[in-house]
Amino acid sequence: MTAVLKPTLARCLWVAPAFAAIAILITVAARALVGMDPVLQESTLLTVAYIAGGIGFVVGIGGFDYWWTWMTGGELDPNDHSTHGAKSWRDYFKFNTDHKVIGIQYVVFTFIMFLVGGMFAMVFRSELARPAAQSLSPEQYNGLLSQHGVIMIFVFLVPVFAGIGNYVIPLMIGAADMAFPRLNALSFWLLPVAAFTLLTSFMFGSFDAGWTGYPTLSQQSGYGMTLYQLGVQLAGASSIATAVNFLVTIITMRAPGMTLFRMPLLVWANLATSALVVAATPFIAGAMFMAMFDREMGTHFFTIGGGGDTLVYQHIFWFYSHPAVYIMILPGFGIISEVIATHSRKPIFGYRAVAFSSAGIAILGFAVWAHHMFASGMQPWLRVPIMISTLLIAIPTGIKIFSWLGTLWGGVVRLTTANLFAVGFIFTFVIGGLSGVMVAVVPFDVSITNSYFIVAHFHYVLFGGSIMTVYAGFYHWYPKVTGRMYNELLGRWHFWITFVALNVTFFPMHYLGLLGMPRRVMDYDPQFAWMNTLISIAAFVLGASTLIFVYNMIHSARHGKLAGANPWAGLTLEWMLSSPPPTFNFPTTPRVIGGPYRYGEEGARHAIIPEAEPASVEKVGA
Amino acid sequence: MKTLKVFPLVIIGTAVGAIISVLLIVLRTLPVQASAEASDIDNLYIFFLGFSGVIFGIVVLFLLVSVYRFRARPNDEREGINLHGITWLEVVWTVIPFIIVVLCGAGGWWVLDRNDVEAQARSKGQVVHVLGQQYGWKYDYMTKGIELKEQQELVLPVNEPVIFEITSPDVIHSFWVPAWRLQMNATPGQTNEVSTIPTLIGEYDIICAYLCGVGHTAMNSALPDSIIPKVRVVSRADFDAWIAQQKTAAAEVAATASADTAVSSS
Repeated sequence: MTAVLKPTLARCLWVAPAFAAIAILITVAARALVGMDPVLQESTLLTVAYIAGGIGFVVGIGGFDYWWTWMTGGELDPNDHSTHGAKSWRDYFKFNTDHKVIGIQYVVFTFIMFLVGGMFAMVFRSELARPAAQSLSPEQYNGLLSQHGVIMIFVFLVPVFAGIGNYVIPLMIGAADMAFPRLNALSFWLLPVAAFTLLTSFMFGSFDAGWTGYPTLSQQSGYGMTLYQLGVQLAGASSIATAVNFLVTIITMRAPGMTLFRMPLLVWANLATSALVVAATPFIAGAMFMAMFDREMGTHFFTIGGGGDTLVYQHIFWFYSHPAVYIMILPGFGIISEVIATHSRKPIFGYRAVAFSSAGIAILGFAVWAHHMFASGMQPWLRVPIMISTLLIAIPTGIKIFSWLGTLWGGVVRLTTANLFAVGFIFTFVIGGLSGVMVAVVPFDVSITNSYFIVAHFHYVLFGGSIMTVYAGFYHWYPKVTGRMYNELLGRWHFWITFVALNVTFFPMHYLGLLGMPRRVMDYDPQFAWMNTLISIAAFVLGASTLIFVYNMIHSARHGKLAGANPWAGLTLEWMLSSPPPTFNFPTTPRVIGGPYRYGEEGARHAIIPEAEPASVEKVGA
Repeated sequence: MKTLKVFPLVIIGTAVGAIISVLLIVLRTLPVQASAEASDIDNLYIFFLGFSGVIFGIVVLFLLVSVYRFRARPNDEREGINLHGITWLEVVWTVIPFIIVVLCGAGGWWVLDRNDVEAQARSKGQVVHVLGQQYGWKYDYMTKGIELKEQQELVLPVNEPVIFEITSPDVIHSFWVPAWRLQMNATPGQTNEVSTIPTLIGEYDIICAYLCGVGHTAMNSALPDSIIPKVRVVSRADFDAWIAQQKTAAAEVAATASADTAVSSS
């Protein structure tokens, strides 16, 4: 009985519906009281229910318990760490304030969403395997492709990096936790709400205007479109809260001696990313709110004939969504720097250049949004400046690639699975980067935009780029998180199948686009049949390769070899702790005495953890 | 410490890259060049393939050579060389990409500008209103002396400039003729202008490139059994004949319609 009153998922099961019901009651009652039709339209009530139910879920899981008690003058014990750290697997399904638990919650949840989003791709790739329509209706097809994009971007790629950062960054900077642990947990628990909102839209006529949800098509869509707008806002709120948390944590909680230029590059990358998130995400929230008001409240921000303008939506949308591309790759760059330096036993070549290039990308990232709109009919004068800023962003990106090559050169390269993914990433990301330079150039872009060439380009950047770095990070920190080694042989199989299948899937798409196959279609010119069949087969292989990864991760967590504290002989702070690290990380505050990548230097250390009396460690941990 | 000389490798990388570039350029598959802009844009693309192949070749060669040459042996406890950077090298690999992107930008700007200047010179060209709608295209010929409304088919005289004024009554579509290397959105609430000169007689596919709803896939004349007519570029004489024919047809339709009205009102 008490389980339904304590902050658990069981409590969510009644609090969320209760909140939804109360919200509906208030709406209906308020309308009835002033003498209006109590139920004007069901969709309004549904929207109210989703918003209140989402808040109810977060209340149910315990997101506001501490603040509520504090606000109402209840008794609080500042040393109560009962919600901190996981003692059994059940704790991962509770509101937990330990950054390591939250990191794992993030990574596991987002990876499941990755599998769901991948499944959608499998379904429509099977439709595309042969010309002509087969199993799917156009409504289903458009719904699946829109869901694929939204799930992958908003509940996989953006938050998975928040998850990896959550686990690793406090350890790397020598902190006990994130700056705001409760806010941190709250940001995580918003994500399941966002995912629920997006995925249940299938029940009400799925959103079907692509992941961009441009009006005026979005105004014609079924009710699912409102849920898309709501879901993106929820994921965005989660993202902003996490970014604020990272900013404060990185700026204020670094261990003594960790100057800016002694920060590991992953920390640099997350600092730049978080600044980008905080500044850019409110724009998409704004766009989504206005588009939702248009649909649900009859406003005219983007409606034609009411004084609205559809081009405005595109500008606001891309003002976030282009920086979002860097939000999805900069932390990955950070991971690659860590992985390559550690596994190649060599300092990062040109540390400052790599650090500054992250900052450069973050700043330039704000001046390139309109390159998504070269054929949109926007102001013609905007084309050339945006083309130039877009081309310039290739330079800091190039600096990073060359620096990683310089790091490998003259090292002692251990081709662990983590490093294989890092090396493979350079190969695939260069292809995505070069096609990015091509599509930046206006006349070429308008000849192929909205075609499969673009699909090829951004999948090389997001799969060949971001997802390869995610895998590299997973394998790199797996021993730290679980205390056990993954199976190298399975890891290598996973890498090679992924690498080959991803290139066979995405490379032919360039040619399809050049020859005139538009994106987001379920049928095509029969001359493209063999290429589409090839792509579909490779896509299924790519999907199947994740099963090897999942098996390896689950099986090795119980049966892998014990890893010990530092299996890779890394120098950064997280490797100085046991695997997995103790609940409160460091027994005493570490002191940073040098750079993070002093490989090849005799007896070099990045930091020291002063000796502590064992008794005091016990006390903090208990 | 085994180190390889870097410069010979750069040369080999460039050579390997050049071979990749040549392969990419030879194996490029593009639609037929059927407009005045097409060759400029294709030349840009060939330039992209040229430098992309070289950069890709150098990067991948260095990647493979470092991974092989500097690989760790079993139980290898050695460390890499303690090298934190070489400033001049970092300057070089900042400046070279800078030069490449400046060339890309200059090339792109030049082609764009040329097309814009030509577009101005085309102000005397054929003006065609293009209406993209769910799910098909309609064309209004606006030029004086032609003035033909609501055509299902786009027919144009070869080697004569044409200005498209594109709009939509419902949702965003995109007017894409790959053979002309031309795309422009049909945006509701505004008219987007774009121009070209068709240079080759023939039939070309017209494709809606922007997701516009359940019928989006079907707005593609390349599909078998498509109800969307292909774009036809014909000689001036054929064009005039087509115009005359359409006018007669329109007059007949109008006559039948007025006759019907007369019948029904009597």
